[in-house]
Amino acid sequence: MTILAPPEGPPAADEPPGLPDPVPVAVHFRPPRRDGMEERFSATDPDRSWDLARHPRVARLLRDRKLQFLLILPNQLIFWLVIMLGLLGTVVPGLNFGTAITWYIWFCLVFVMMAVVGRAWCAMCPFGGFAEWIQRRTFWQRTQKTLGLGRKFPEPLARYGLILSVGSFILLTWIEEFFNIAGPGNPAATSLMVLGIVSSALIFFLVFERRTFCRYVCPLSGLIGSVGAMGTGAGFRTRDREVCVDCQTKDCMRGGDDGFGCPWYTWPGSADSNLTCGLCTECYKACPSDNIGLFVQPPLTSVVAPTRRRADVAWAVALLWGLVLFQQVNATNVYASVDGWLTGITHIRYPNPIDYLGLIGLFALAFAGIGWVLSQAFGRSDLPPSSPAASRSFVDRTSRFRSFFVPLAYGVIPVVGADYFARQLPKFFKHASRIVPSVGAWFGHGSVHSTLYNTRMLSNPEIVAVQIAVIGLGTVAALWATWKIAGRDLVPVASHPVGARVATLGVVLGFGVLASVLYVIMHAAS
Amino acid sequence: MTVLDIPTHGVSSDASPHVQVLTDRCAGCQECSVRCPTGAITLDAETWTVLADDAACVGCRQCVRTCPFSAITVDGPVLVEPRVQLSQHHPEHLLADRTETRTGIGSWAEALAEAARCLDCPDPTCVRGCPAHNDIPGFIRSIRAGDLDQAHEVLRRTSVLPDICSRVCDQAVQCEGACTWSLGDSVPVAIGALERFICDNAPVPGFDQVGTAAAGMEVAVVGSGPAGIGAAAELVAAGASVTVYERDDEPGGLLRWGIPDFTLPDALARRPWDVLTAAGVDLRLGHPIAEAEVAELNGHYDAVVVAAGASMPLRLPVGGAELDGVWDATRFLNEAHAALAGGAGLDVLRRLPATGSGMSGTPGGDTDGADGPTVLVLGAGNTAMDVARSARRMGARAICVDWMDRRFAPVRPDELEEAAAEGVDVRFSTTLERLEGEDGRVAVAHLARTRQESAGERPEVVAGLGVAEHVDLVVMAMGYRIVPELVESVGGVPVSKSVGGVPDRRWQGSGILANTAPEFARHQPVGKLAIGREHARVVAGLARQDRVWVAGDALVGPSTVVEAMAQGKHAAEAIVHHQPRRPGHGERALARVLVAVESRSGTTARCARQLAEAISGRSAPEAGEAGPEAEVRVLPIDKVGVAELAWADALVVGSWVEGLVVAKVGPARATRSWLAALPPLAAMPVALFCTYAVSPGGTLAAMRAEVEAHGGQVVVEEAISRRQASRSEPPSGIARLAAGLAGDPAS
Repeated sequence: MTILAPPEGPPAADEPPGLPDPVPVAVHFRPPRRDGMEERFSATDPDRSWDLARHPRVARLLRDRKLQFLLILPNQLIFWLVIMLGLLGTVVPGLNFGTAITWYIWFCLVFVMMAVVGRAWCAMCPFGGFAEWIQRRTFWQRTQKTLGLGRKFPEPLARYGLILSVGSFILLTWIEEFFNIAGPGNPAATSLMVLGIVSSALIFFLVFERRTFCRYVCPLSGLIGSVGAMGTGAGFRTRDREVCVDCQTKDCMRGGDDGFGCPWYTWPGSADSNLTCGLCTECYKACPSDNIGLFVQPPLTSVVAPTRRRADVAWAVALLWGLVLFQQVNATNVYASVDGWLTGITHIRYPNPIDYLGLIGLFALAFAGIGWVLSQAFGRSDLPPSSPAASRSFVDRTSRFRSFFVPLAYGVIPVVGADYFARQLPKFFKHASRIVPSVGAWFGHGSVHSTLYNTRMLSNPEIVAVQIAVIGLGTVAALWATWKIAGRDLVPVASHPVGARVATLGVVLGFGVLASVLYVIMHAAS
Repeated sequence: MTVLDIPTHGVSSDASPHVQVLTDRCAGCQECSVRCPTGAITLDAETWTVLADDAACVGCRQCVRTCPFSAITVDGPVLVEPRVQLSQHHPEHLLADRTETRTGIGSWAEALAEAARCLDCPDPTCVRGCPAHNDIPGFIRSIRAGDLDQAHEVLRRTSVLPDICSRVCDQAVQCEGACTWSLGDSVPVAIGALERFICDNAPVPGFDQVGTAAAGMEVAVVGSGPAGIGAAAELVAAGASVTVYERDDEPGGLLRWGIPDFTLPDALARRPWDVLTAAGVDLRLGHPIAEAEVAELNGHYDAVVVAAGASMPLRLPVGGAELDGVWDATRFLNEAHAALAGGAGLDVLRRLPATGSGMSGTPGGDTDGADGPTVLVLGAGNTAMDVARSARRMGARAICVDWMDRRFAPVRPDELEEAAAEGVDVRFSTTLERLEGEDGRVAVAHLARTRQESAGERPEVVAGLGVAEHVDLVVMAMGYRIVPELVESVGGVPVSKSVGGVPDRRWQGSGILANTAPEFARHQPVGKLAIGREHARVVAGLARQDRVWVAGDALVGPSTVVEAMAQGKHAAEAIVHHQPRRPGHGERALARVLVAVESRSGTTARCARQLAEAISGRSAPEAGEAGPEAEVRVLPIDKVGVAELAWADALVVGSWVEGLVVAKVGPARATRSWLAALPPLAAMPVALFCTYAVSPGGTLAAMRAEVEAHGGQVVVEEAISRRQASRSEPPSGIARLAAGLAGDPAS
């Protein structure tokens, strides 16, 4: 036996070896477009050296199909415990582990995670995770047949991107306020709320394909997606875009032998922010070319760098800003008077949906109004007219108003994120220590008279100081982001570029000051 | 050359399709734009999402099927011209009529109009739907250019039976069912009719030029049916010396006796063998090769292709099946073919006595068969229809019974219509309960009604609804299976066409799997069927024994002419690829080595790469000599399937050692399951290695046992410690593996 050279040329290195295949002879794809690729993505592509998956141990971990299961499992156990204890445990909210961990610890942690990493919570979320186990009929394996109808989310709803998710967040917040769930009130209410989310997720997972629920409906998705842009987690991105463009299988989208197609409808080949990367690792596992990395990036990159500014993100930010301002305003005496007056007329107790939705809408529209004023004041007279509705969808349509409003909304993200984070601080600093007696209560040792139950980490003035510091930090970050964004996005469309940049900075500063002043007035109210 | 100016697509219509792109979800992957037949979709570089031009859209919905994220919808009509209407020949006097019933496209104008309906898709799903993967857009382009010789050149690359396949293929569930128009639930291009038009108007060329890729190789082919024709044609074209052994006195297998003249005229069925014998194929008729004799034959040839078909008819185990006058379809079709070809000789039925059915007189005296004998055909598939229609042409009354519900029966509607038009009485939801005889001869068939609620359900007999039918001949035409001796001697046959796991993403990306049940394809899953056929074709490239390949019905059980031909061709391609040599006729070349490896920490993968370099180094020409090196490919073990194994001349399997120091020490899990699921390795040389931390234990022995159980020949094995493997220099075991694989006695 001798080893000889093959008689014909070897197959290309990236092609699997095989006997002659007549199909490719008949295939003549149109050449994919490549021009403009460099300009489009150069600002958002992370530094190649910031690829965590280059390290063999990280790579092995990411390839392990059990990874996400192990991330979800602890949260899953905790939340089923929350449901059980909420229904069966003590009715004292501060002593019930379910309410204590949900409202004193978890909600605060979610905001920390979103501000630092982005969608880290989505990777370990027990709500979507539980439903996905059932949809895939497995805890971690790559299965072929899914359970459920696998429908596509209706286009008329899907075209509005994150806005439906923000809507469900506003609805959930109203329910939470109306039933005083997060007060926290009756622990059973917390259980029912969590059960409601799990049930909704399950229904959506069984009716629609992939993670339609997480992408479009989850109450936290819009918030985490937009505010999470501040984070350092860039998510899973391509290592070499040319390889992705030329890839004929798109396993990361369709699913391959080792990984499902992206449940979040994200293609690493064109991802320019961490907006819709749920960090589930499926694309990394599926890629046949080992061309996907897990990248980190400097904070605020996903706020500043993307060249494609999405209108749904801008409106989501405006609505979220409206909601968080409402939550601050409703701690003031003026609001109490207005709400009381409305309750007298409509006989609907706090929060009256009229003033709840009215104020949120008013604040959001005021935000948009500022964008409109800026566009009128600084927009160049020769700006092209608005794109016809038919030519582009809601997310990408262009107009004079949008050319100012959308970049401004992106710039404001750090203030909004800081405001949401600051809103959680009073509960954390006042009551986080209650988690210990709430655990002790399982064994009959917890008491509302215990030292830990009544320990506060900070006094009210100290909490307000921390809140203002957080807002200050967010405002500085927003000023820097807005300066950069305005320099790139507003200068080309402004008649007075310097004026436009200064005016937008003024708006951002005003937002920061407004939030700070309201925190002073709230005086650390939960 | 005639070039006519006919638009490639489009019809005048007030309404036009509207493409809507959901830009929230569109990722700009361009899967749609690279495949759009009309170029209606382009990428917007600003948003990196796609834009659609409704004016250029013809509504084929290819974009909808190929988008991985369901981000495109298309509303509105499908803009395609009506399909050419093919006429049918309905014989005025059916008796003894052998005229072809289906006619082809009658004129160039019609052919050009039909060719103009083809969109010339960038990723043509019809090509995947065709079991032979004919370049359908390619030959249609040639028709448009008016160049039928060029069309034949295109067809020749993948098919040696275009004149036959265009007549006997069920295009509705193959190429035409997979046509973009069909997947868009419209009416596909008449691909079969266009292929036939080429062959009807320009002779299928012979083998003017013979290659040298297989020069000096002597190959035996057992069987002269479609698989044998495919193999012999490919081999003789590559320059091999080919000998074909056929048990019958006529070549062609079922092409000759299995398909009646009114579907496939004799002259066409003879044509391939006229061409092949003219090209130098040594055809030995009346020369049966028993399955046990294949090994003996193998000693005299460099390679053997077993294409003996699946010739064992299925018989219904009912009372009276042993009576005289109960035939199988093979016997009937053979005798009917000869009788009809003989013109006046309708002896087969003339011999039958008149029954008490109330019909008397001479068979064939009346074309409606009212006074002829009654032939009961069990089954309602293609063979059953051929039997029944042949019987009608011989003046008999024909009844077909099938226990399946009509809704679920796998019968071609056109075939059913033709049979009904010729007076065949087809009864679905009916089965044979028992037969009664008179004087040892079948006389009465007791039929029962059946009920079937769904396609996957086995029909059940409904009690108390039986009828008795007077019959003169019963023909069992329920299908065939591979003869048990072949199953025993080859092993692993029939190969299942059901493919598990994730479908090939190239196929998935083409959109063929998106519309699972097109209307034109009779709601059959064309994509799934095509993938199953492709799997069988690929398996045909894998030797089942040392230098023995199996193709056609002998490999997969009863299938179709085109599948058998494609498999035979692929088996021959594998022979040309591997250049096998029988002992004493040259050395066996190992030009391609496949290294399948399972690595956890990277150590085993590094050893595999070092081994690949060592093997390449051994094959590298000495300094100053010219010539390329052997090709070595390293793949993760779970990426190595049948296609990769069919490519390799030799195999290396490497695994890390699993287990806890001494407990459960053995090959890693993926390696174990991969080895257990191996196809036959047909004496392929195999090298084994493992990397271990403390002790390899019985790892190599376990791997060797599995490889040898699948027919592999372990030539060398090495256990490499991680300590050795972690050094900068390759461990000494690597060199021993490379030497052992090359047959170096020093190893």
